Amino acid sequence: MSDLYLSRVRSWFLRSPPAEWAINKTREVLIGALRQGPIPQHVAFVMDGNRRYARSHKIETIEGHHLGFEALARVLEVCYKCGVKVVTVYAFSIENFNRPKYEVDGLMQLAKLKLEQLMQHGELLDRYGASVRVLGQRDLISPDVLEVMDRAVSTTAHNTTAVLNICFPYTSREEITSAVRATVEEFSRTPRPHSTPFSQSRITQKILSQQGDNEEPTSPVRDPSPTPSWTRTRAEDPEGSVSSSTTLPPDSPPSKFGGEATKVTIFPNAENITAETIDSHMYTAGDPPLDMFVRTSGVERLSDFMLWQCHQETQIFFLKCFWPEFDLWHFLPVLVEWQWRQKQKERDEIKPRGRAKLA
Amino acid sequence: MPFKQKEVQAYRRDEMFGHQLLTPEERIKMLKPYLPPLPPKASQRAALEPKPRFGLRRFLKNQLHLLVFTIIHTIFSLYIKTRQAIHAISNRIYSVLHYHHHTPEYIERDVKGLGRLPKHLSVILTLEDDGRGGAALERLVNEVSDVAAWCASAGIPQLSIYEKSGILKGYLEETHRAVSQKLAAYFGPKPPALSMGAPHLRAIESAFASSRAGRAESGKDAKHLSVLLLSAEDGRDSLVDLTKTLAEMSQRSKLGPADVKMELIDAELSESVMGEPDLLLLFGPHIELAGYPPWQIRLTEIFHVQDNQGVGYQVFYRGLQKYAQAQMRMGR
Repeated sequence: MSDLYLSRVRSWFLRSPPAEWAINKTREVLIGALRQGPIPQHVAFVMDGNRRYARSHKIETIEGHHLGFEALARVLEVCYKCGVKVVTVYAFSIENFNRPKYEVDGLMQLAKLKLEQLMQHGELLDRYGASVRVLGQRDLISPDVLEVMDRAVSTTAHNTTAVLNICFPYTSREEITSAVRATVEEFSRTPRPHSTPFSQSRITQKILSQQGDNEEPTSPVRDPSPTPSWTRTRAEDPEGSVSSSTTLPPDSPPSKFGGEATKVTIFPNAENITAETIDSHMYTAGDPPLDMFVRTSGVERLSDFMLWQCHQETQIFFLKCFWPEFDLWHFLPVLVEWQWRQKQKERDEIKPRGRAKLA
Repeated sequence: MPFKQKEVQAYRRDEMFGHQLLTPEERIKMLKPYLPPLPPKASQRAALEPKPRFGLRRFLKNQLHLLVFTIIHTIFSLYIKTRQAIHAISNRIYSVLHYHHHTPEYIERDVKGLGRLPKHLSVILTLEDDGRGGAALERLVNEVSDVAAWCASAGIPQLSIYEKSGILKGYLEETHRAVSQKLAAYFGPKPPALSMGAPHLRAIESAFASSRAGRAESGKDAKHLSVLLLSAEDGRDSLVDLTKTLAEMSQRSKLGPADVKMELIDAELSESVMGEPDLLLLFGPHIELAGYPPWQIRLTEIFHVQDNQGVGYQVFYRGLQKYAQAQMRMGR
């Protein structure tokens, strides 16, 4: 009982206007102070623990998600004020479709509602210069939600200072798969012909007619022009075949032009595929590398989030608190530790170099 | 900035009624004091800049922030030094209390109380000093054989060892010999069979296991440990290689881009590299994956002991304990 009483007194005190003012000023100063050091450019959050928070506080699950959204707004504010460029949040996993239907629907409605509101306050994101992007498998979203999302994305697209990536319905394996698929697609497309006013077939025709005068029947066949098949088949082919039949000497096989040349397709070399190629097809293409990965609620797994992005030099933090509780006070130690490690790393990088110089 | 309690209550009441109570304008009015100023347009900015009064205020503010920053970091480094010291001492005490004495029975006894064991354990080891000099390599091999011996004792059938540079792959035979010796030191005359391999390399079986007599003799309760050595090239590079192969196949119209499915990639990668490990142990002071295969780590439980340095049995044991307690929910 006394415990409850104490907590009530504490919350009464914290809510009193002077305390509120002091806390706000402190926050401002702390954020300003953090800006003095290195700041991660890209932070990812797994917003885990909404439901467990709701359960432990005996409120509805969806209520927990609402509180989680408030926490997200708080965290975004801290991040953007600190100078984080890109924030990526795991809002909804493809696996989450396994949850009870009313909860899935509730989450969908929540997302729709919040994005709608966000657009009513159009300038809110403008003030932070933030644009919204939705990453994930779009075809799993119901059309009404998708429409709102697209609107949110397009109305904020002009902001360039910061980015909010909402992963909705997302899994990292799906992302990697789609990136691989897109790369395969890119490399199995023939390069588009350069838009040039010169018709290749006209040139060949010229050469052929000239060579016809010189009586050199073999060389035109060796012409290695990388004409993509479809341009030929669409427009120039009849022209080409006509020209070949008229200008070619009768002893050269006419099928070389009509048959084989149309089938020759030149693909970009698959050996040129690198990690960067695949990277450019990820949903996060163009974003700075992920510096920090934060997961709340004490679960120590990546759970299919940002696998490709976070498996290299990303600092991963698993925190004990539930997501709705997450605030500057939880985030501050993480950020400071990150800055500290960053400094440590710099020192380590300088040291061996110095040693090498001595040797 | 936290909102005033009154406003939070108003917001939540509004939310409860499906945002019918407040108009967008009212909500904006509520928010306004908390927002940063609108970014000034270029022309306005130019007009604002030359005023010196703003500069002074900004200067003072900057100084204050710098001061707070320095204070925070001073306090933090004090804090982290003490934390490291405390953790170092407690880890040491823990490891003394739970020393395994190179006896499989002790480890077996430790593990017995755990609800479940990982079938596939993975560890990340680091090569000190970029591998210059043989000492670092020797130490690495030693660590590999320690972990392998613990796994064999605990009854974990599969172990994968990630080391970024992949230096161990070049010494597969020597490593196999060192681990076999360690196992012999733990188990005495009948060590568990050991096979050690790496992706795209043929696994080396221990002579004991490859001889049919040995297998028959040891019967069904014979332990078998397979160790897989991984390096950075089994991570992103293997995905890149797979993409190259798929692209070439697609160019020869052996498959269309639509055939590239998650199941296909998963099957290929688990065939040529490895499957998903159940538990990943890090022996470093913080979590950094250093290029660990990304595809496979999807649902792997990741364990590290804060501020821990070096490979120790207590990390291994605590990792197993943590794994036994963790529950999988798969998004549900």
